[in-house]
Amino acid sequence: MRRLWLAALLCVLLAAPAMAAPFVEGEDLTPSSKPVRGGTLYLALTASPQSFLFYGSLDNNAYTVIGQTMTGLVELHPVTNAIRPGLAESWETSPDGKEVTFHLRDVKWSDGVQLTADDVIFTFENFIMNKVAKGNSVDRFTILDTTDGQKKAVKWVKIDNRTVKAVLPSPFGPFYMNLSAAYIYPKHKLESKIDKNRLDSVNELWLTNVSPKDIVANGPYRIASYVMDQKVVLERNPNYWRIDRFGNQLPYFDKLEYLIVKDAEVRLAKFIAGEIDYMAVSAADFPTLKQKELAGGQFTIFKAQPTQPTPSPVHISFNYDVANEQLKELFRNTDFRRAMEFLLDRDRIIDEIYNGLAIPGAGLVLPANKGFYNSKIERIMRPHDPAKAKAILDKLGLKDKNADGIREFANGKNVEFTLTVQSAPQDYQDIALVFKEDLEKAGIRVNLQILDSTLVGNMFGAGNFEAGIRAFGNQPDLELRKAIWQPGTQLYYWHYSALDRSKLQAITANMFDWEKRVYELFDQGSITTDPAKRKAIYDEVQEIYHDVVPVIFVCKGMNLSGASKSLGNVTQDKEGIVYFASYTAFRK
Amino acid sequence: MWSFIVRRSLIMIPMMILVSVICFGIIELQPGDFVSQYLDNPRISPEQIRLLRERLGLDKPAYVRYGMWVKNIVTKWDFGYSFAYERPVGELIWERTGWTVFIALATIIFQWILAVPMGIYSALHPYSPADYAMTVVGFIGISIPDFFFALILMYFMLKMGSTSIGGLFSTEFIGAPWSFAKVVDLLKHFWMPLVVVGVSGLAGLMRVMRGNMLDIIGSPFITSLRAHGLDEKTVRRHAIKNALNPMVSIAGAEVPNVFSGTIITAIVLNLPTMGPFFYNALLNHDQYLVMSFLMFIALITQIGNLLADIALAFLDPRIRMS
Repeated sequence: MRRLWLAALLCVLLAAPAMAAPFVEGEDLTPSSKPVRGGTLYLALTASPQSFLFYGSLDNNAYTVIGQTMTGLVELHPVTNAIRPGLAESWETSPDGKEVTFHLRDVKWSDGVQLTADDVIFTFENFIMNKVAKGNSVDRFTILDTTDGQKKAVKWVKIDNRTVKAVLPSPFGPFYMNLSAAYIYPKHKLESKIDKNRLDSVNELWLTNVSPKDIVANGPYRIASYVMDQKVVLERNPNYWRIDRFGNQLPYFDKLEYLIVKDAEVRLAKFIAGEIDYMAVSAADFPTLKQKELAGGQFTIFKAQPTQPTPSPVHISFNYDVANEQLKELFRNTDFRRAMEFLLDRDRIIDEIYNGLAIPGAGLVLPANKGFYNSKIERIMRPHDPAKAKAILDKLGLKDKNADGIREFANGKNVEFTLTVQSAPQDYQDIALVFKEDLEKAGIRVNLQILDSTLVGNMFGAGNFEAGIRAFGNQPDLELRKAIWQPGTQLYYWHYSALDRSKLQAITANMFDWEKRVYELFDQGSITTDPAKRKAIYDEVQEIYHDVVPVIFVCKGMNLSGASKSLGNVTQDKEGIVYFASYTAFRK
Repeated sequence: MWSFIVRRSLIMIPMMILVSVICFGIIELQPGDFVSQYLDNPRISPEQIRLLRERLGLDKPAYVRYGMWVKNIVTKWDFGYSFAYERPVGELIWERTGWTVFIALATIIFQWILAVPMGIYSALHPYSPADYAMTVVGFIGISIPDFFFALILMYFMLKMGSTSIGGLFSTEFIGAPWSFAKVVDLLKHFWMPLVVVGVSGLAGLMRVMRGNMLDIIGSPFITSLRAHGLDEKTVRRHAIKNALNPMVSIAGAEVPNVFSGTIITAIVLNLPTMGPFFYNALLNHDQYLVMSFLMFIALITQIGNLLADIALAFLDPRIRMS
């Protein structure tokens, strides 16, 4: 794991050496020496995909399907999220770090047409940098020019048919990470269908009623058919460019079928019955499934170290801008928030709510992310210690003077606040209940407000709450979550007075000193390209977050999954990470 | 007769307008809109949210959107656009109508085939062991929630080693062209929704049939028939014919129920009908889809009632079309 992350980052960031085409998949994903070709792999989706165009949708089910059919210039390793070559077989960075020249692999689209630099430029112009494309990535490719302080777009220049150059306003560390989510689309299929007078017409391309013949792929599979709300069938892309260690073209399966099953119980039943080969399972189902496996079930249930950013780790936040002045002062007090962390019983939550299937340390970065994780936070995180919490609260002058079990402010008002939490998923509510219980034991009254998730989203988005429970994802690179964790951004919702919401600009004057430091660190992280220096920057961010606790991280569920025993090349390594990719698995 | 049908059809128009206004109003009352579910998606900027709202017309006041929606239906037969599916609503609903109607009709026929004879038998043998047995079975059917019954059935199927759970077809037949094997596969799956959805309505229908039948048997005209010396078979035939009339009017009310009343069951059984589709549309704030679906149900209800009234008039000459 460590070797993968570092090796990949190093080779990516310090100008990758030329690599020979085609791409040979490593042993981690193809441990079996006797792979079998053919057959169908069955997976499940929770709902119908909305579109087959990545940039025309904001839908995770669509992303799941599209991820099997499309690739970017660079890719993330499907398990470790390390960067590796994709459609570009190699690239060089200019000495000043502002120009990156990509050499495209000799790749044909699934319909046999050559993939060229024109496709890359077409994709950036029409989709990625198109502000009205629903799933555009304008923000990710608009970078601060450090010379004049202006934000500018990355420019793409065609050198020749198989060479394309990116010109960056400044060196930009997460460029490759962002690029891995920039799938390249075919100019020859799509250009004629775009209405030049109406830029948002791109959102109407490749919707689910388009004939699969019109949809081409550059990933392992291509779309074969779609039966609405029933299944999406993919078939092997005959021109896929990745091979296994023995020279076989990947993927091994001829077909990949996604069954669309909305009900979780039914998905589970289908998995047990062998209709679905691989799927994520919930903590609640884990014990039963494990028992079934041990009793001779035709599947293996994995309990894995979390590597995926989803589902998001849960955190508790306190609104620094709450209308109630007393609460505002209290929530802004770092000692108070530290006391709150001492009252949070992570062990009990992990035990009772997650069946023991969660890790406590997941904050901004996951421990499995060896590229960025700072293990020092494990020593900073405060364990459940009500005595220490009470001592801090006493020191803050919050004492129970009338002996009713609730502490009072100096003016005699009870210390109480409303904790807002969405009704689903259930674990958020359960966490809220446990937290409330421990707080009340320490003399702080908590009024639970459990509401529909949309409403809660709107309330947090408007800064209209006292304290709340939410979950936001971490990503392979903190830059990708800057819009959440950098103070003065749109999703730094517990301190909106640090943001001018009409101009969407940070107001540094309203920030605490530690917030200013975090703000600067994130800006530095963006423009630093040396991996070691970047790690040092984000190490400090993590330390500040866990020390000052702007939000209190609760825990992150483990990645639980089940795989049919008939599948080959599904393994769990000694660090607890499960290796499964749809294009290297096969039917034994 | 014709003037009755025309008059009833004309009344439907103000009814539909009223229903649409109320439904639109209620949907507007729920917090947020389709775009608000993207608010905490870090991939989407506030600028995009604004543009998306603009593109979907969500920035306009509710009455403007309502007016546009109605205008498009009247002038272009366009029921609006589904935000979530990115497809015209009319097309989406039409795609689902086939299976929905098929399952609805099959269920109604299934219920009737069982409920009518059972009701008659119970009425003719009141308080017999068979009557009690049917009552007990019927009430169990009515009191177990459909979706729970479906889960139990699926559990037993799984226990017995079934390899195909839920849905109308095995995986390999979904989307495959029709063939004999596909029909067989359909029959293998179809009994489950039929039983699950059918059984819940069964007890109600059976009890109505039983009650009607008991009423009729006790009525003076049956006594009179018997007094005239008609044989018991003919007497029963007359009684049954009369007892069926109220059942016909119930059928009218049953139609929308079969269309929309089995949402959770259809989700559990993974059926490609309108129920789950409607449920998702509600969760997604997919306004025009929800509206069109509700209007569709309202229309079906009204047509169902109209047809029931017409059928009743044919069956019972005492009922006048006035």
